[in-house]
Amino acid sequence: MAAVLPRSRATAAARGGGLRRVMRRKSTLAFLMALPLIVLIGALVVYPALYSVHLATLNKSMERFVGFGNFTFLFKRDLFWMVVKQSVIFAVTAVVFKALIGFCVAHFVHNVPAKGQRKWRGMLLIPWVIPPAMSTLAWFWLFDPSYSAFNWLFAHVGLPSITWLGDPYWARFSVILVNVWYGAPFFLIMYLAALKSVPEQLYEAAAIDGANWWQKIWYVTLPMMRNIISITVLFSLIVTFANFDIVRILTSGGPIDQTHIFATWAFKLGIEGNDIPLGASVSLFMFPILAIAAIFILRDINRRGNEA
Amino acid sequence: MSRRTFTRRRFIATTAAASAAAIGFPYIRTSHAAGSLSVGFWDHWVPGANDVLTKICQDWAKKEKVELKIDYITSQGNKIVLTATAEAQARAGHDFLTFQAWDPLDKQDLLEPMDDIVGHLTKVNGAMDPAAQYLTKGKGGHFVGVPAVTGTQVKPPCARLDLFKKVGVDILEMYPTLKAPTKASENWNWETLLSAAEKLQKEGHPVGLGLGQTTDSVDWVGSMFASFGAEMVNAKGDITIKHSDGVKQGLEYMQKLVKVMPRDVFAWDDASNNKYIISGQGSMIMNPPSAYAVAKRDNPKVAEHLYTFEMPKGPQGRFAPYLPFIWGVWKFSKNKSAAKSLLQTIWQKENVEKLVNGSIGYDIPSFASQRSFKVWEQVEPPKGAVFHYPPKGDQKIWMACSPAPVAIANQMYVQGFMTKLIAQCTQGGMSIAQAIDWGAKELEGYQRS
Amino acid sequence: MNPAEIQAAVLEAPSAGKAKTGSTRRDRKRALYWSYFFLVLFVVFFLTPPIYMMITSLKSSAEIGAITNPWWVYAPTLENYWALLGSEQYLTFFKNSAIVSVVVVIITMLISIPAAFALARMKFWGSAALGMGVFLTYLIPETLLFIPLFKIFAWVQETLGIEVMNHYWVLMVIYPTLTVPFCTWIMIGYFASIPKELDEAALIDGASYLQILTKIFIPVALPGIIAATIFAFTVSWADFLYPMAFTTSADQLVLPAGIVTILIRGDVYAWGQIMAGCLLGALPPLLIYAFLMDYYIAGLTAGATKG
Repeated sequence: MAAVLPRSRATAAARGGGLRRVMRRKSTLAFLMALPLIVLIGALVVYPALYSVHLATLNKSMERFVGFGNFTFLFKRDLFWMVVKQSVIFAVTAVVFKALIGFCVAHFVHNVPAKGQRKWRGMLLIPWVIPPAMSTLAWFWLFDPSYSAFNWLFAHVGLPSITWLGDPYWARFSVILVNVWYGAPFFLIMYLAALKSVPEQLYEAAAIDGANWWQKIWYVTLPMMRNIISITVLFSLIVTFANFDIVRILTSGGPIDQTHIFATWAFKLGIEGNDIPLGASVSLFMFPILAIAAIFILRDINRRGNEA
Repeated sequence: MSRRTFTRRRFIATTAAASAAAIGFPYIRTSHAAGSLSVGFWDHWVPGANDVLTKICQDWAKKEKVELKIDYITSQGNKIVLTATAEAQARAGHDFLTFQAWDPLDKQDLLEPMDDIVGHLTKVNGAMDPAAQYLTKGKGGHFVGVPAVTGTQVKPPCARLDLFKKVGVDILEMYPTLKAPTKASENWNWETLLSAAEKLQKEGHPVGLGLGQTTDSVDWVGSMFASFGAEMVNAKGDITIKHSDGVKQGLEYMQKLVKVMPRDVFAWDDASNNKYIISGQGSMIMNPPSAYAVAKRDNPKVAEHLYTFEMPKGPQGRFAPYLPFIWGVWKFSKNKSAAKSLLQTIWQKENVEKLVNGSIGYDIPSFASQRSFKVWEQVEPPKGAVFHYPPKGDQKIWMACSPAPVAIANQMYVQGFMTKLIAQCTQGGMSIAQAIDWGAKELEGYQRS
Repeated sequence: MNPAEIQAAVLEAPSAGKAKTGSTRRDRKRALYWSYFFLVLFVVFFLTPPIYMMITSLKSSAEIGAITNPWWVYAPTLENYWALLGSEQYLTFFKNSAIVSVVVVIITMLISIPAAFALARMKFWGSAALGMGVFLTYLIPETLLFIPLFKIFAWVQETLGIEVMNHYWVLMVIYPTLTVPFCTWIMIGYFASIPKELDEAALIDGASYLQILTKIFIPVALPGIIAATIFAFTVSWADFLYPMAFTTSADQLVLPAGIVTILIRGDVYAWGQIMAGCLLGALPPLLIYAFLMDYYIAGLTAGATKG
């Protein structure tokens, strides 16, 4: 190293102005390499988002400026608050169950001897690989009022059949169920990877101190996995909150609008109802909630970055 | 050396871009689109009906030497409405498109006046149905569309003769085979329907009338309310729902009827009632003969008992739920003359007859003089299955959400307001007064402009 | 007890591992049985829909209509598959999806890899902000953007005459917004984990940054690149909202939107065909997953564990 340094300094000195040229070229080169990304995000994410704000200030036929008029209109509508409530319940419930199931099943897979784990992992990740539009259609058929395969099973064991998509409460249940089915494998995979990185000795030490399985989880697993848990939960909250496919295909907003979430209601108002500014206003309402989640993630990532 | 790698990378990037462009290079619209026409028709529920229309169009295209592109757009998932909205926003799309119900008047500023075609058709066929005129005549008295031959329908009851006979309602006595309705049909009203439905539910074959948000549900509910004299928004645009006795009576009736219907009718879309009756479970739905047509193909044992007849009578009369599809030409179309020529060709009497035959009588032409085709007598089994389908006699054709002004009516229609109103005071647990209050607030929202 | 204390305890008791092997082995066996039991339950839960799809797709319309046991096929037939493979419309959906996905993957890689390299290695003005910005855009969902994009494309069509509405090539422009942020994030993680000595050595040897990228980084981070490619492909193949909003004609639809809007009609008994259509449509991602599962999983978890 000592031998190299003088040489590099020598060459650097020799290049002198050339080195400065390299530095300048490096940063412009870097900028150029990042430019497509900047253009893409600027033109297709940032600009439409800002345009959305502008749209939300127009009247229905988009000829007049009404400022906050659309928002005050929405605030007065019961349906709007119902959509807010439904979106939050949907997102929180689904994410809680996804995380729980992912966490538990990760443990089960982890317990299986390493050679067999691959095939279990393979089978369990399938829901996440199938495009959601198509798997939701399968669920739709499973829930069909006249042809439900589940109801057929129920009838055979004497249970009453369930109106999966026709009753408001069952419709909400079904939508959450499909979302959990679709998203839990993702949590499973993340938590499994994180579980593997928890050192085995910690568990052994805890066992020596007399910890049972529950205490091991509470005192060893959870603290070690705290960061990955919070990141996956927050990411999933955002993605679930903005979900469209499942509700649209299963219930299209559901009996008496009881399964409408932001995305589907914005679609119905903005595109089906030909009221673009109102649809934009509804979509924009997601933003404060997402922003809060973003702040939390940022704090977490920074913390993780500092710890690492 | 670095410069060489830079250009090599550039080369790869540009080649990729070029190949992407070659695959889907943006089609820049030029002005010589004359000689080509892009049309969007409604995708027919009756199997095979589309082919008749395709052939008529292709024959026309060959004769006129026009390059024709036909799209069949389904009404499932509101696709027809979506397409019209997207094209209205983009000011681009098909030349000639099918619209549904209130939509053309809502978009009349973008539609080409059709007075010439309507004038010609009226001269040949006599007056158009008042309901059809109501929905195609825009501001200033100009017609902005022509009723479509394919798809325009009514949704009267389609019931299982055998099941109704079992509970003591002899439909054939009221609406005999291939003959005019008898005096007994005066007793076919909402009360008799309700009592029959109660008995049928005990038999395990409930009546299934949709209460979802799609047209199959909204249309019949509109007629039901009309027959009670309900008026939710008057022609001037005032919200009259709170002062209308008909609304209360209609809701009271529905509270009773919902109890004897399957619980999932609130989630039914346009296909659900078809599925319900074809499976053999249902005893009655309100639908044009598409369900019957599919049953003929896939479950003949059920199909041979399916009979279509008139709506039940209410205090204010008998109203047939009307769903028109309307053909309109966009103002931004580049080939309006070809579009209008095609329209006129399809409306020629022999073509209309071909289309109606191909749809086994599903399509209802909007001219009274064209409602005596043989097909309605010939479709069977059972004999006279669709004889009573085309509206005649004391049945008035009714467009749901009339007589509200177009903008509000379109919102009420697309958002399924009336069925939601019913759902609120049945499944939703509200009282009728509460539901009406809820309804009034909703209607205020639709007044947005 | 926190991890630090536990660790201290481990170091102080080197003979800890030998204690009580008998009961821990029994405990572990019991844990194993319970694990297998629950695993089977969950596998049943997770795999029921795909298996049901397969069962239904093998049924003829008559069998579906007869409402026999929906969980078993009495007269299996491949007629649904043949009908789809012979249907020009369905094959068009497939072709459109394939074209869009492949092109989007290429575009994504072309944007992500250089950008990730620039962000991971080279400092330039605003690189930290850009890194954060990339991350944040992942939080602006498509459900917020589709309405303004709808208007923007309509405006482009009206004023510039470029046919943007109702053409699937517009998806090639938008899908990268879904794939690029996450792929860039994955790649930054992989690139950042490459030891800096490698590029310093290469720099000394006179290599330019582009050569470092192509000759060192890409080969070393190949697993990450494969993972990102798989992710980009799967997301493009599966997206539903953008095609629903921007394409309406049957010949422009991609598979998810096509199956849901066109294949579902009033016909009851077409469900066999619909399920067959869904399975065939899910086949490319499933196949990629089957063969490249490890890369897939590695890519997903890379962000988590490498950070």
